[in-house]
Amino acid sequence: MNNDIPVQALGPQGEVMAHAVDACVHCGFCLPACPTYALLGDEMDSPRGRIVLMKEVLEGGLDLLDAAPHLDRCLGCQACVTACPSGVPYGELITSFRGWSEPQRRRSPLDRAKRYAILKALPAPRLFSVAARVGQYAKPLAPALPAALRGPLDLLPEHVPAMQPSPPLTPARGQRRGRVAFLTGCAQQALAPNFNAATLRVLARNGIEVVVPEGQGCCGAAALHTGARDEALRLVRANLDAFNPDDYDAILSNAAGCGAGLKEYPVILHGLHDEARAKAFAAKVQDISEYLAGLAREGGLEPFMPASRPLKVAYHDACHLAHAQGVRAAPRELLRMIPGVSIVEIPEGDLCCGSAGTYNLEQPELAGQLGARKAGHILSTTPDLIASGNIGCHTQIQSHVRRQGSPVPVMHTVEVLDRAYRGEL
Amino acid sequence: MTTEKLALTTTSPARKPRSGGGGDNALAAELTRLLGPRKVLSSLAERLSYRFDAIQFGVTPLAVVLPESTEDVIATVKAARRAGVSIVGRGAASGLSGGAAPMQPGVVVSFTRMSKLEIFPERREAVAQPGVITLAVTDAARPHGLIYPPDPASLRTSTIGGNLGENAGGPLCFKYGVTGDYVTALDFVDAEGELHTLTRDAYDLAGLLIGSEGTLGLITSATLRLTPPPKFTRTLMAHFAEVGQAAEAVSAAIAAGAVPGKLEFMDQACTNAVEDYLHLGLPRDAGAVLLVDTDGDDLDTVEEERALVEAACLEAGGVVRRAEGEAEAAALWQARRSVSPALGRIRPQRMNEDIVVPRSVLPEVVRQIRALGDASGLKLVQFGHIGDGNLHPNILFDPRTESTEAVHTLAHEIALVAIRHGGVLSGEHGIGTMKRDFMRDAVDPETMTALWNVKRALDPSGALNPGKILPEEPHA
Ligand SMILES: Cc1cc2nc3c(=O)[nH]c(=O)nc-3n(C[C@H](O)[C@H](O)[C@H](O)COP(=O)(O)OP(=O)(O)OC[C@H]3O[C@@H](n4cnc5c(N)ncnc54)[C@H](O)[C@@H]3O)c2cc1C
Ligand code: SF4
Ligand code: SF4
Repeated sequence: MNNDIPVQALGPQGEVMAHAVDACVHCGFCLPACPTYALLGDEMDSPRGRIVLMKEVLEGGLDLLDAAPHLDRCLGCQACVTACPSGVPYGELITSFRGWSEPQRRRSPLDRAKRYAILKALPAPRLFSVAARVGQYAKPLAPALPAALRGPLDLLPEHVPAMQPSPPLTPARGQRRGRVAFLTGCAQQALAPNFNAATLRVLARNGIEVVVPEGQGCCGAAALHTGARDEALRLVRANLDAFNPDDYDAILSNAAGCGAGLKEYPVILHGLHDEARAKAFAAKVQDISEYLAGLAREGGLEPFMPASRPLKVAYHDACHLAHAQGVRAAPRELLRMIPGVSIVEIPEGDLCCGSAGTYNLEQPELAGQLGARKAGHILSTTPDLIASGNIGCHTQIQSHVRRQGSPVPVMHTVEVLDRAYRGEL
Repeated sequence: MTTEKLALTTTSPARKPRSGGGGDNALAAELTRLLGPRKVLSSLAERLSYRFDAIQFGVTPLAVVLPESTEDVIATVKAARRAGVSIVGRGAASGLSGGAAPMQPGVVVSFTRMSKLEIFPERREAVAQPGVITLAVTDAARPHGLIYPPDPASLRTSTIGGNLGENAGGPLCFKYGVTGDYVTALDFVDAEGELHTLTRDAYDLAGLLIGSEGTLGLITSATLRLTPPPKFTRTLMAHFAEVGQAAEAVSAAIAAGAVPGKLEFMDQACTNAVEDYLHLGLPRDAGAVLLVDTDGDDLDTVEEERALVEAACLEAGGVVRRAEGEAEAAALWQARRSVSPALGRIRPQRMNEDIVVPRSVLPEVVRQIRALGDASGLKLVQFGHIGDGNLHPNILFDPRTESTEAVHTLAHEIALVAIRHGGVLSGEHGIGTMKRDFMRDAVDPETMTALWNVKRALDPSGALNPGKILPEEPHA
């Protein structure tokens, strides 16, 4: 798309944005992939429409406030990136745009307070855990609360588990095959500590030594995608200091959103002095499923105990795994290694579940519609178990599946593997 | 002929931010009163989002309507008429000739919410509202053992309304025909806001509407013919040292009696673009690659036809590879399907030609276009549905470093080659604004007058999609 974006005035992120706009030939092939387009059916809530709106704002032809409602509705799911035949880096565009535009936004005090709370609580597991507990007790009050506050409460599990900090070092069992660093994630530690425990057990069982480097923090994705660029940069640099890529075979994440965030570091730091460091770091980042599938290919995994009965597993592709990281085959390969497990594909599988980071808090209505649609599709496959690789999807899907009256368990892929190892599947 | 006409993408000079000022025009207010706020878009951000298709940016509409029923369309047309503004129909805006890009400030009617689809298996028909996505028809028909054959490469995105507007085709059209061949009836709203139902007996007025690019009426429903899919398909790929040889092989194969389901070609520049993109192991040195499917319900005939094609290719000096299974066939077709994205990576813009010439002159035409491309210094690739003589010479360019005037001149020369050889300007993408200027070369003055008479009869005030297809009359 031809454009007059004043790249010079916008700095290195301007280059990133202008390049993305350039690459778009406005063919519309991305439209059917976009969840908001599926719900709203209008051009300005489609990827192509959003690219045009961002271009107009950057060129100075449209007021940011006029474009904002449509840009805010974008889930950042990157389904459009998978669909685009021209390779438009939409994810980089919207992330950079949000960073550029957020300081110019005038938000209401309630809005600001909410965003502040999210940004402070998410990266601080302890704070988040406390907040979640408070929320848990507030749940019975939910019907009386404004919709903006009800959304997040709905998502909280019935019981907020106790924190289980990960040990700084988990030794390999048997012969050591490798050494990795592990990012423990934020909200996940509070909401689903078992994901991390399972990850450490499965890695150790396969001869991998796991280090949880001190000083690591939030990946910065939530801050970045809500436009808090300075905050994001601070978090990114803290992680670059904490993880020295030379010390590890891989840097692992078991949360799709965080993994995608870590792989984005070179884009965030494009044109800044830490760019090279970010590239070396990102080159080592892998999702837990990618890494385990790699181990399976080179030398195999420890054998799994068969499931106690044939299990039909509906595997949900988290957007940040499938679209942002391109990881689709690995989790399916791993699950299929468990004797007795078969995988069913979910209708409209590529459509986001509506969780998408902080979307539930910012766009509760659309998030709810997408969640209900996703849960309906999943349940239509009559699964015995639902697996996915992201905490956000996990909570969203669990909450909507329960709301539709189904008791089917929802697990992280690595939890399924862990259970198979323990003969508990 | 001005370069401004080409205006592939209008870049706007740096402007001051304009604020939305939603509903500040009387027309938008009137439409909102008639249809309710859900169906009318009036803020600037909304209106800016409806001024382009896949090739061109036009002017910002005054209002956008998202009708949910035929009544909504009627009310919109009548309101636009009262206000004296133009009306542009829009499907998915995947068009490649500027059809859905407004040339005057007016109303854009975007059909995406009119997406009701009914399948009638017993009469092998589907009734579709214009906003139905093309692929959805086959998806819905398949459980009944039926498919909808027209298969533009954009079938996952484009709508039935847009397909009718452009009379879209695809690789299958050599044997199975284009959109128009599958329409048995349609409803349209005329420029006065009156609803008509057309079947294809007596005067083929439905045929007149099909391919009229929204310049004669707005289609609100179409009855589409469905067919059972062929039971067997066989695939082969052949490559040739020189483009003309491939065209000769095609002519010979068809003369020998083969009726392939698909018959596609890519020239060397095109093959290399795909190879750079996907690394499929395509023959980079070949001047041209042919991809052929033979299909039908009788396996012997299907194999026989493939043998005929194979023999013709070998005779013309080609190297042939038969696909052994479905996976290999899919891998071969991946190359053809990837042409558009592969080209998108070479230069930011392209002028996509869509000429059709008689098969007998294909070798000559393909060679002449190659020579024109080489002489122009611009990047030119050729591919297309060669079985129908439908070629897509594409000029790839960067408007910041290459002259759009040169691009337009080359496009015009290519059009003239087609016309000189008894061909036409558009096989499936339409004339729109892109090839409007070339119409005078393609159509004699008497025929042009006849076309204008038809246009005036159906749209006396010229409100329907102005600036498309027909060049202004010399005296106008
Ligand atoms: C990458 C790519 C590949 C393509 N491949 C092919 C191909 O193989 N074959 C092919 O034929 N085309 C192809 N096209 C072009 C395009 O997809 C087709 O022309 C398609 O039919 C347009 O449908 P649409 O819904 O996008 O219509 P639009 O672009 O929105 O509109 C097309 C025209 O139809 C008119 N129109 C739309 N709806 C109505 C209605 N309800 N009533 C009256 N007029 C209406 C519009 O005013 C416009 O003039 C391709 C496009 C792209 C981007
Ligand atoms: S598919 Fe890609 S090139 Fe086409 S409109 Fe969407 S982002 Fe642009
Ligand atoms: S990221 Fe997802 S929601 Fe946003 S435009 Fe792309 S497909 Fe739509």
